[in-house]
Amino acid sequence: MQYFAIGDEDTILGFSLAGVRGRIARNAGEATEAFREALGRPDAGIVIMTERVVAMIRAEVEAYMFSERFPLVVEIPDRTGRLAGRPGIRDLVNQAIGIKL
Amino acid sequence: MRNVAPTKSNLLKLKEELSFARLGQELLDQKRSILVAELMTLVDQAAALEDKMALELGQAYRALEDAAMAMGKLKLASVARAIDVRSAIALRQRRVMGVALPVVNTTITDRPPYYSPLDTNLNIDLAAKEFRDAIAIMGKLAELKVSIMRLAAEVKRTIRKVNALEKIAVPDLEESVHFIRERLEENERETFTLMKMVKNRLAAAKQEGSLE
Repeated sequence: MQYFAIGDEDTILGFSLAGVRGRIARNAGEATEAFREALGRPDAGIVIMTERVVAMIRAEVEAYMFSERFPLVVEIPDRTGRLAGRPGIRDLVNQAIGIKL
Repeated sequence: MRNVAPTKSNLLKLKEELSFARLGQELLDQKRSILVAELMTLVDQAAALEDKMALELGQAYRALEDAAMAMGKLKLASVARAIDVRSAIALRQRRVMGVALPVVNTTITDRPPYYSPLDTNLNIDLAAKEFRDAIAIMGKLAELKVSIMRLAAEVKRTIRKVNALEKIAVPDLEESVHFIRERLEENERETFTLMKMVKNRLAAAKQEGSLE
C-alpha cells in the first residue's frame, strides 16, 4: 500500500520529491473530490492531508477518522506552519469518549 | 429487585450470581486500568511524534523553498517527476486486551540518481531527504492515532460495563439475596413459634386429661 497526499501546490510538490502521489486542493469542492478519490483508491494505505485542507472539510474527515477504517488519515501542518486553535490529539480523545486524560 | 420465590435454592443461586458479578466487576476494572495506562503512553508518544513531524516538515518546506528559489518551480516540478521513490506500507496487528491495533511499517525503496547533479540545486536533495524522513514518521503517527481511537472506544465500553455491574447488577442481586434471607429467617421464626404454641397446647390438653 502507498501514501496519498492532499494539500496545496507546494506540499504536493514536496511530497512528490519523496515519491508520494497526491492531488492539489484549493477549495472545499476540490478537497472533497480529492478526499473521496483517496478513499476510493485500493492502494492507498495512508492519506496525508494538510491541516488547511482538513479545515475546509472538517466534518467529513472527522466522521471518517472515527470510523476506524482504512486508509488511515494523517493531518500535517503546511508550509505556513500549524493552524492556530487546531485540536490536539488529547482534545480529540477527550471529545470522542469524554474521558479526561 | 428480582421477582423470585424466597426459597433456599434460589438463595444459593443468587449468591453464586452475586459473587460472579463481583468477580466480573473486579476483572473489568483491572482491564480498564490497563487500557487507560496503554492509552496514556500512546497519547504521549503521539504528541511527541507530532512535534517531531512538525519540525521535520518545517525543515523540508524550507529546503523546498530554497530549491524553488534557486531553480524555479517549473524546473523543480519536472525534476520531481523524474524521482522514482516507492514508499510501501506494511500493516500488521497487535493485540492489547483483545483490541486489535495496527502496526505500520514504512519501507522506502530509493534508487538514485534520478537527475543530473549538474544543473540541479543541492537543496533539492536535501528537501527530498527531509520529506522521506517525514513520511516515515507519518506512518507511525497514523498507527498511533488509530490505536488511540480504538483503545479509547474500548475504554468507553469497559467503563460502561463496570458501571452497569457496579450500579445496577450488584446492588440488585444484593437486595434480592437480602430479601430472601429475611424471608427465610422470618419463616423460621414463624414455624418456631407455631411449634411452641402447639407444644404448649398439647401439654395443656394432656394436663387437663390427667386431672380428669
